[in-house]
Amino acid sequence: MIHVGAGRTDTLREKADVVVVGTGSGGATLGVYLAERGWNVVMLEKGGFFRAEDFTQREEQAMADFNGRRGLDATIDNAVFLNYAEAVGGCTVHYWGDSFRAPGDRLERWRKEHGIDWMIESELDPHWAEIEKELGIHITPENLFNENNRLVRAGCDALGIEGHAPPTARIDCIGCGWTQLGCPYNRKTSQLITTLPRVSKAGGRIYSDAHVTQILKDGDRVTGVSASFVDRVTKRPTGTLQVDAPIVVLAGGALGTADVLLRNFEDDVVGKRFYINPHYFVWADFGRDIDNVTGIPCAYVVHGFRHVQRDAKGEYASGGYIMLTNHQSPAIASVMLNGIGAAHTEKMKRYRHLGSVMSVIDEDHPGRVFLDKNDIRRTEYNVRGVDQLKAVDYLRNASRIFLAAGAKEVIIPDVYGTTVRSEADVSRIDVRSVQPNAQFTAGSHLMGTAPMGTDATDSFAKPTGEAHRVRGLYVADGAALPGSVSVDPSLTIMGVARHIAAQMHTTHGRAGA
Amino acid sequence: MDRRGFLRTAAGGTAAIALASLLPAGCSREYPQATGDNVTLKSLTAKEYATARAAAEAFLVGVPVTASYVASAIDAELAVAGDPMLTDFKTVLGLMEHGTLLSFKGKRFTALSIEARTRVLEDWATSRIKLRRGAFFALKNFVVYFAYAQDSTRALTGFNGPLRERLAVPAYPVDFGGIA
Repeated sequence: MIHVGAGRTDTLREKADVVVVGTGSGGATLGVYLAERGWNVVMLEKGGFFRAEDFTQREEQAMADFNGRRGLDATIDNAVFLNYAEAVGGCTVHYWGDSFRAPGDRLERWRKEHGIDWMIESELDPHWAEIEKELGIHITPENLFNENNRLVRAGCDALGIEGHAPPTARIDCIGCGWTQLGCPYNRKTSQLITTLPRVSKAGGRIYSDAHVTQILKDGDRVTGVSASFVDRVTKRPTGTLQVDAPIVVLAGGALGTADVLLRNFEDDVVGKRFYINPHYFVWADFGRDIDNVTGIPCAYVVHGFRHVQRDAKGEYASGGYIMLTNHQSPAIASVMLNGIGAAHTEKMKRYRHLGSVMSVIDEDHPGRVFLDKNDIRRTEYNVRGVDQLKAVDYLRNASRIFLAAGAKEVIIPDVYGTTVRSEADVSRIDVRSVQPNAQFTAGSHLMGTAPMGTDATDSFAKPTGEAHRVRGLYVADGAALPGSVSVDPSLTIMGVARHIAAQMHTTHGRAGA
Repeated sequence: MDRRGFLRTAAGGTAAIALASLLPAGCSREYPQATGDNVTLKSLTAKEYATARAAAEAFLVGVPVTASYVASAIDAELAVAGDPMLTDFKTVLGLMEHGTLLSFKGKRFTALSIEARTRVLEDWATSRIKLRRGAFFALKNFVVYFAYAQDSTRALTGFNGPLRERLAVPAYPVDFGGIA
């Protein structure tokens, strides 16, 4: 049963084997695994419950309805816009559906550096295979390529750069173009329409608009959580809910999970590693109408630069990122494009001429999440050091790809008005363009704020997902990842959550039975 | 949110804190724009509304959305969003309004011509001080976002609007197992 909590004024008490805080990639995957194996599952979601008929594809409404802080959240210096969802289904309501398994080299790093023995393909592949089957994940078919996707592919082919169509989570997609604003056709296989209904039908109770405020403990063991029902718009509390459970799983995303932990525990690790995979957006004017409003945002991924290349001295030379083809609705594009007054208006007049890509920088330097003196959650993140060099390398290679694809002009949307028409212009792109607040920058792959590992001084949770210092408290979302996945993390988070769920089931049996 | 939190994180923050703490609040007699626009303010002061409106006039050259609409949309949104966005943005507006006093012979941002405001915005955008660049982006992002979310800009961008409004495609049914 899905219980809409918005505006509820009652006081409710529930008992469960496990209470899962968050209903996105991690929480829903874990929740359905346990619910279908007989566990008494309660799931709490801070955001609202929206269905196909609520997804109007209008930007103001979508951003306000299901983006965190109504789509207005940014780092404390406004240098990075933070894109995350708060809704039943979590980030999968607005994600693009790109569904990559974590690369083997990344798993190996996490195994070696953080002692997570099961971070190996043979352990995770069966989980990923099951999830891929359940969500209908398949390689993006040609009919979902729009012209922007095809042009980027042509540019890569001309330059001999590796790229391919990504696996995507959708069934019979009609290519309406605005998956980021929620799918009104139930074709994107988000957790909202796949796993969560299964949780519900297996006897689980899912409460929307339920903001967890306290983790309840008895000594060093959790006993449940208390939450407030909140007003859908103002987020002000209206009623209360307590869930008594011997196991609490935090899966509210890297920000939501960190928020709860910071308010409940003294811990030196929580929030100290905040990965976001910085996104810089490059635009290219083809001087004619190109279709970049239908299809899906990302039907082509440039993988040729994922690995960092070093010179003979071992210094950074190139790479350390992937590129995704990108399209944006006009209001969001207007934020991303540069210029003031008439200069900006002229760019918006060319909206239908513009192709675009975005970076997923595999950063070395994370930011942090913290509570300020007024107990408001804040974030700090600066692209710095070698990560700035990666960003510059990305801007240059994105420009080259668009020039090879026939673009008349490439727009680096920085405050200096950098434009690229030739290789000589490419070489002039430098770190000035990627200084904080030199161009619109975003992060939507939020990870690492309560990471797993064997070292309790460097991780919040053990490799099982259970907290080092609190028995029965688990983390099973992007927060639990030890670092950047280097590709879109959603499928990795799902696989990790399912593995944690399987371990929990093996360890506890049906908890409470 | 602590207004100083935003300022402290950027170079030049100390000076900005000193400046921001000295900013006069202003009153509706000095800033009649909201009254003139027949807008009942929900989160911004009359001065802050006037500053947002003045910035919108500079940013939205040739865009078929009125500056008063954008300023009132910002006011309404911030009233709902609350902190930290509200206090941060109020700080930005205060700094913008009074940050022109030295370079424009005592004139406030709202008293400048649109051309002069554009020069101020360009100056802030390319400033060596991160705080100013951050403030510029906060202002620009709010203004253009609320403008281009309006249907009246579709002719300008060539955007036909969401497909859902033009093509009736039924959603696949989903059984949620009960909704209460």
